Amino acid sequence: MEIQKVKQKYISWSIGLSLLLILLVLGGGNVSASDNESKTLKIATANEIKSPSFLGDYNFELFQTISNSALLQMDENGNIIANLAKSWFASPDHTEWTFVIDDKYQWSDGTPLTPEDVAFTINYRGQLASSGWIGDTLVDTTTTDDSVTFIFNKPYSRLDFEFLSYSTIPKHIWESVSDPEAKTSNGPYVGCGQYYIKSVDVNSATLILEKNPYWKGEEPYYDTIEIHWFSNDNASSFALEKGEVDTYWRYASTYPYAAVSVLEQNNRFDIFQAPSIGFSFLGFNLLKGVGADLEFRKAVSSAINYEELMQITTLGYGSIPTKGFVPPSMPYYQEMPSLIYDPQAAEDILTAAGYIDSDKNGIRETPDGEELLVNLVIRQEYSREGKLVAEYLRDVGIQVNLKVVEVNTWYDLKDNYQYDLTITRTTPWGMLMHANWGTGYFDSRRTGQGVLHTDDNPAYLELCDAILATTDTNLLEMYAQEIQEYYAEYLPGVALYWKQDITPTNKDITGWYSTPFKGILNEISFMRIHPKT
Amino acid sequence: MMPGNPIVHLIGEDIMVTPELVEELTATLGLDKPLHEQFLIFIQNLAAGDLGYSYHLHAPVAELILERLPWTLLLVGTALLIGYSIGVLAGAYAGWQTKQKGAKALTFIGFIISCTPPYLLGLVLFSVFVYHLGWFPFKGLYTTPDLASIMWHMTLPIATLSLFIFARNLLIMRGSVLTEKHQLYPQFARSLGASKGFVLHRHVMKNAILPIITQFAIDFGFILSGALFIEIIFSLNAMGSLMYTAILNHDYPILSGLFLVIAVMAIGANILADVLYGIIDPRIWREMQ
Repeated sequence: MEIQKVKQKYISWSIGLSLLLILLVLGGGNVSASDNESKTLKIATANEIKSPSFLGDYNFELFQTISNSALLQMDENGNIIANLAKSWFASPDHTEWTFVIDDKYQWSDGTPLTPEDVAFTINYRGQLASSGWIGDTLVDTTTTDDSVTFIFNKPYSRLDFEFLSYSTIPKHIWESVSDPEAKTSNGPYVGCGQYYIKSVDVNSATLILEKNPYWKGEEPYYDTIEIHWFSNDNASSFALEKGEVDTYWRYASTYPYAAVSVLEQNNRFDIFQAPSIGFSFLGFNLLKGVGADLEFRKAVSSAINYEELMQITTLGYGSIPTKGFVPPSMPYYQEMPSLIYDPQAAEDILTAAGYIDSDKNGIRETPDGEELLVNLVIRQEYSREGKLVAEYLRDVGIQVNLKVVEVNTWYDLKDNYQYDLTITRTTPWGMLMHANWGTGYFDSRRTGQGVLHTDDNPAYLELCDAILATTDTNLLEMYAQEIQEYYAEYLPGVALYWKQDITPTNKDITGWYSTPFKGILNEISFMRIHPKT
Repeated sequence: MMPGNPIVHLIGEDIMVTPELVEELTATLGLDKPLHEQFLIFIQNLAAGDLGYSYHLHAPVAELILERLPWTLLLVGTALLIGYSIGVLAGAYAGWQTKQKGAKALTFIGFIISCTPPYLLGLVLFSVFVYHLGWFPFKGLYTTPDLASIMWHMTLPIATLSLFIFARNLLIMRGSVLTEKHQLYPQFARSLGASKGFVLHRHVMKNAILPIITQFAIDFGFILSGALFIEIIFSLNAMGSLMYTAILNHDYPILSGLFLVIAVMAIGANILADVLYGIIDPRIWREMQ
């Protein structure tokens, strides 16, 4: 009797468990994704939206490029061109900037977009920490029927660059919101571009944009754009290979190089390549230690095997940089001498500069007689580049203490100048910020998470200020050349490789347009793309 | 102390700010106050049910945790239920019938799975069942927020996590049953004519399951963070990824809130384990009395 009871209990328990499993496996097995075959474009991304906060989530803001247009945009050559503002001009002293609004932009709820909306947007931005410079410098804003003028308390020649990234928000919606950054909603959000954000759902990892019914410009082909974000690149690559999405986009980055060959064999995608503004570079501590010695920097620049680094890190989707630091994809790029791997030259420079291995132990000594030991501090994501660079330096007699640290420790060490060398990256915006051409990374007067602020050379700072004080294109071209010559001569940083940004795009779709700022995520692209006939 | 400065994360990578603004932000966040004062404020707020505010996600911490907690409970809770149930049964069988081919195969599978890095196994299953077979979706907790869609999305993540739990418990239970079966009481029961199955399920399993309960108490402590790898592979917006992002961003309010919840759950699980010990093995109560 007892045995039977136990058996019964065991059997019923097993059945229950099996049912649960079957229910789980089959319960939703036949649910198909809500694929809308008609005119829907699907984009995979690694830029995860963590919170449905239109103004509080950094990645959410990235996708507003096509729904809440910025005043200006960048073309494929890196030049600033019209967008929401059809024209713009500055006063001779660059304290007053006027933007004339294009009337094809209308809010998706039917409300006309006015210069008041633009004024509201920029003034709102001035209240945020991330764009606090506006609050510090903007003293007045005036509007007319079709234009808005911003008046600053000091000249600001780079304002057009700054206004590439601020999405315009509707005043009639947001003026009554007490804490806009804290406002969360799954949508819809009123937009003014070709599309508006219909919904965002962090649980389904999907952002959906739909055509703006009040858009007065040329009509885009696709009715709906779906942005699908993935927490890992393997999953997004699988989704692409399987044809679940039409393309891949990631801010300041590329489709993973290692996954490109699979897509090439897949034959479903065109592999779109564009030279990137972003790249990895070796930064020197110019303020103390051996990094302050120009001869040492020159020797290091000759000791690096750029070809090997480029092949290993970009799998061939890159090129060997020049001493000018600035990549060819930036405006006013100047051809500078290429960086050349020449370990013998590195050794000669070091010897001539007094770094001699007098005790023949394979490690050179500094002119003071100390062993030449440098601290190379890097973040985990640059460990491959770090190991290679350390190896190259050891080959020419420089002992390297390679410290691989997590990101927060890196910020601390970097900001307190507790390193000799470091490896970090530039982003498109980073290269454009401050006085353009990468100046934001080196100008010692700057602060910020990713910048080194190591160069306090008065000549350099003066050059930065000169760039900041003009909008004259002839002058800018001249300064651009000077700054690249400065980089080539003084080597505050050495680009390790220039890279191509890879964007796989569905072979059946044509018309893609890529800019150095945000790749294919731009209004021109979404206006042009359509299926191949 | 965690290295780094939360203000730096709050400002962003390529942003220029004045030292005055940095000071202002530091004061706004209360980070300019001495540590003991910050701790007192935290305790005072906590007593009022306030876990703090995340300046990265621009929301109260309690709200952020509560939004994600049900998904984590669904993922980990279901996986624990399945993994423990099957693991215990399979482990008991593998330990009791060591010479049978099925038992050997189960043990082998258990070893293989428990030796496989979770991320790798997750990716393999993702590749097979999502990419190649197309049975499950690529990402997310659902496509549309309805039961069928949720089940479709959660099945593979739950199955993956269940496999780990199953494998570990199979090995623990197997070892435990192996020890118990060589005791005198099972042999005595057999000599009285009780069948092998009866002895196993009625007597041996009760004693052998005690290490599993201990393991359960430990597992429960990690319920919020333990599924991180699964959440990353399947792009799930739950507690593990919240914690991961908070660590990367130095989002102290979220971290302190999460650690508190984890600590409470760990204490709760240990109390539960103690109670279960007493129920399963009455000798423990007797000894206490």
